[in-house]
Amino acid sequence: MRTLALLLAVLAWPAQGAWQWSAPLTVNSVQGAAIFPHLESANRRGVAVSGDTVGVVWEDNRSGSPQCYLATKSAAAANFQQEIRLSQSDCYEPVVIALGAGRFVAAWEEAGKVHARVLPGGATLKLSDIEAAQITLAADGDTIYAAWAEQAGRFRRIVVARLMLKADELDVKTVQPVEAAMPSDEQGWPALALAGDGSVTVAWEDRRNRHTVPMVSHSPDGSGFAAPERLTDHMSGSVDGLGAGTGAMRPALAAWGEQGIAAVWLDKRDFLSGYDVYAAFDTGTRRFGKNVGVQDSFGDNMAQWHALIVGAADGSLVALWDDARDGTPDVWLSDWEGEAFGDNVAVPGAAGPGQQSDPVATLDAAGSLHVVWLDRDEAAGTRIRYARAKRK
Amino acid sequence: MKKYLLWIGLLFAAATAWADPPPGYPFVDYNAGLAAARASGKPIFLYFGRYGCAWCDHTNKKTFSDPALKKLYSDHYVLVYVDSESGRRVTLPSGERITEAELGVRLNAFATPLFVYLTPAGEKIVQIPGFKTVQDFRDYDRYVRGGHYKQQTLLEFLGGKS
Repeated sequence: MRTLALLLAVLAWPAQGAWQWSAPLTVNSVQGAAIFPHLESANRRGVAVSGDTVGVVWEDNRSGSPQCYLATKSAAAANFQQEIRLSQSDCYEPVVIALGAGRFVAAWEEAGKVHARVLPGGATLKLSDIEAAQITLAADGDTIYAAWAEQAGRFRRIVVARLMLKADELDVKTVQPVEAAMPSDEQGWPALALAGDGSVTVAWEDRRNRHTVPMVSHSPDGSGFAAPERLTDHMSGSVDGLGAGTGAMRPALAAWGEQGIAAVWLDKRDFLSGYDVYAAFDTGTRRFGKNVGVQDSFGDNMAQWHALIVGAADGSLVALWDDARDGTPDVWLSDWEGEAFGDNVAVPGAAGPGQQSDPVATLDAAGSLHVVWLDRDEAAGTRIRYARAKRK
Repeated sequence: MKKYLLWIGLLFAAATAWADPPPGYPFVDYNAGLAAARASGKPIFLYFGRYGCAWCDHTNKKTFSDPALKKLYSDHYVLVYVDSESGRRVTLPSGERITEAELGVRLNAFATPLFVYLTPAGEKIVQIPGFKTVQDFRDYDRYVRGGHYKQQTLLEFLGGKS
């Protein structure tokens, strides 16, 4: 078995050489056996690079209740600065995007409503008056969009807002549900991406078909959205009158190339091996095409979790997730190679003994990949870890 | 009275909107179940299902429709239903707050239904994936409430029968 593992490691070596990684750093300044940090968020937007500053957001319970935090690190600094707290009451699922020149916008759920704030400086703006959660953000220059899941009758539905930036303050320009009709079942976990042509794409998980299906809708300018379509090309339904279909959840989007949008999600179409990561591409037609499996055959029999995708205008596209194919959870990535995803590569520092999971990531303007993950240790507490990679 | 019935209807509608536990059983959510188990000293039977799951539906119709099994499990367990794709928040015995979907990650759930037996303190005794028969659930009940899990694995207890 050991020989086989060694052989597989040797075979995988060329793929590991695609990225050159920095030594991992710890982001959170407070850890402990009873402190539980989380990087969960809609579209997994937990890290952003603004100018030469990296910003990381998360939630933990160090104060006795769940609160959201932001830590930053400039390129010249050896370590992250001590984090600042973003929230006053129970806070969940924070996200962060870059505005440039070291400025960020963070958003989060607090006390059952969604909020956003420009950092540094800036005042917190409450974006919803009714119950809302699972907010995410996307920006192209000063054009900022937010999407969240908002209570509408018995269920939540997806709402998209355009935000206006004035100096360090945000204002809400428009807020609209993706669909005018009241939801017939639960919607949640929206993902947003702004393409190079200024169009807005929103994807979310949706239960209108009595099982969970990722849906997607586009708007040419954010003022009105097309009728939703399925992201999945796998049409499942009840079997011999049982159930309603297989599940697929937690879609994530990324702008990619000049006008493209890429999507990944967790998909249980092979229901005996847990969720797999699937992807689909919109090359600028505003329609997503054939679904593509992301994990390689070594990961096919394992459950994948916490998938996301990051892209850049130069056409770079990287999918990340965690799975336990080597015995314990590790963070994996795969580059899109034009026709298919490449070999799965374990992120050094986020692989090996112990539990490394829950990646969030971004590509910066220079093409460097910034990855943040959880490194769990039940005795010492969970560390939030960060590493940067450059292409060789 | 009318208002009372309306509230019951709304609660039932909310429950069915989230997931598909077997009808007629007193399933509650994870947090309520853990609190009830601590108070009552009963073990927890956790049904980890998925919205629209065909094998869950099959198990509900074929197995959980048995009246004697319903009485056995309703009387002796705190029944907890978790929706494997839900963002609903649960608090683990450690104090960590995660979502129901994340509980699937922690349980390394690769298929639904998944049945997990827990002590009244919320510690895992055994987890069993897939469709099971009435007799299977009777065997698991003997294993759990008989305390055999303290000395034997489930396979040892069942004499090698899976």
